[in-house]
Amino acid sequence: MASLVQPGMSFLAPSLTRDIAGDMPVSPAHGLPIRLRGVTRRFGTRAVLTDIDLDVAPGQFVAIVGRSGSGKSTLLRLLAGLDHPDAGQVRLGGQSPRQAAPGLRIMFQDGRLLPWRRVLDNVALGLPRADHPRATEALHAVGLADRARDWPRVLSGGQKQRVALARALAADPQLILLDEPLGALDALTRLEMQSLIESVWQRGGFTAVLVTHDVAEAAILADRILLIEDGAIALDLAVDLPRPRRAGAALAEIESRVLDRILRRA
Amino acid sequence: MSERVKVFCFFSSEKKKSFSLFRSAGAVFRAAGASFLKERSKELVPMARALLPSVVPVALLIIWELLSATGAVPERKLPSPHRVLLAFWHLTRTGELPHDVLISTLRAATGFAIGGSLGFCFGLAAGISRLAENLFDGTMQMLRMVPHLALIPLIIVWFGIGESAKVFLVAVGVFFPIYYNTYHGIRTIDAGLLEMARVQGLTGPALFREVILPGALPSILVGVRYALGIMWLTLIVAETIAGNSGIGFMTMNAREFMQTDIVVLGILLYAVLGKLIDMLARFIEIEALAWHPSFSQA
Repeated sequence: MASLVQPGMSFLAPSLTRDIAGDMPVSPAHGLPIRLRGVTRRFGTRAVLTDIDLDVAPGQFVAIVGRSGSGKSTLLRLLAGLDHPDAGQVRLGGQSPRQAAPGLRIMFQDGRLLPWRRVLDNVALGLPRADHPRATEALHAVGLADRARDWPRVLSGGQKQRVALARALAADPQLILLDEPLGALDALTRLEMQSLIESVWQRGGFTAVLVTHDVAEAAILADRILLIEDGAIALDLAVDLPRPRRAGAALAEIESRVLDRILRRA
Repeated sequence: MSERVKVFCFFSSEKKKSFSLFRSAGAVFRAAGASFLKERSKELVPMARALLPSVVPVALLIIWELLSATGAVPERKLPSPHRVLLAFWHLTRTGELPHDVLISTLRAATGFAIGGSLGFCFGLAAGISRLAENLFDGTMQMLRMVPHLALIPLIIVWFGIGESAKVFLVAVGVFFPIYYNTYHGIRTIDAGLLEMARVQGLTGPALFREVILPGALPSILVGVRYALGIMWLTLIVAETIAGNSGIGFMTMNAREFMQTDIVVLGILLYAVLGKLIDMLARFIEIEALAWHPSFSQA
């Protein structure tokens, strides 16, 4: 039990965690490895994903980019177990997505907070009663502890997404899937959210898969950028830059490599 | 001839009266507006606002009383308000009225509880399970179109004119609005929220408690309010046609003896009780849907 709780505590601000878990280093083994073999998904006669092979190491941050309709969201839904491949295998830590579901959370683009539950109850959704203090901690970690008793509708778009992030974190997941979570936010809030996501990922040690159409965002956050085109992985680019990343020549070079690849096909 | 003159005189005086009534109401609001500027409005404006809905009923009562007093409306056809009030007082003292009101309320409540809970259960089943929906929703939509009052002859054959006939009729009446709105409420829950709940690991009773019931509640409460109206209507018809107690019986019995004051009293009672129940329903809506932008108090 202790080994389950402690890594999860580590996404909290250090001042908070010190009393509870000490300054425990994050165990990289906390993240869930992903393994796809020959994954194909068709809608009718149209193949959206064709024969995808992919391995993601535990704790890695992977960004999936691509044009609209390229199949990147379908890939995310297959990982989440919300959709099933027509051929091939999806394995999360050796298990099917359904078996791995307790350790998996999604952050959706539209937040999807329950309007009839207050902020804290939204974060605690699905947690066993004994783990409810974790919801308060997660809300603290995203800086919204003072909004615990508010209704979601009074929050701004960025605050709603922070609550959605806290909800994903509260269960101490091994894998978080981010489905264009910042797509609807203004530029400034996006930047804030990017650094928040980066810091909770660094503390939490979970594997993260981010679907985005913003190549700059992918370059800032990801260890690895996958470009999906015509249902296949067209580019698999490692981003080996120190964090936190600020706009600069190295980042721009990564961006232009991905964009060139996308635009060459146009 | 003299009577016509009297009537004319009455109308002109009434016109003056109502005109002055409007003028004084206008003065109240102007005063309220003025004091708003003087920062003393904080008590007056809410008070005027609270009184506003009662302006029309009170005005109607005054006009009615005056029409009766001048003889413009014959007492035998429509008794004056104060005579209705006297009838109310008299019947309350003999205990007849509380008894009839209690009987009617019990019938309404029993019928509503039976029909409402059945409607909720069937609506829930059809909303949650495709199998249940395919099995009986088509039948329900067909039966829904039958005016339930058309069942009265059949119900009299089945149950006679006793309690069960009235309760049954009320139950049938409230069943369909609650069935339909529960079913519809569940079916229109945002699919994205259901998907999110699945990802969060919610299933079975927890899913029902956290997502399905609160998500369907606004629609269910619309059904409840609608059903409450049908409940009264059904009860009045049932009690008026057959029975030996209840408000409907009281009014029909009074008609036999031309006691129009009691007839009018019965009608007003339905209005007052209906209004009370609607207030209760609104209160429940405001409490249960505090999260909803349309019902929030803030």
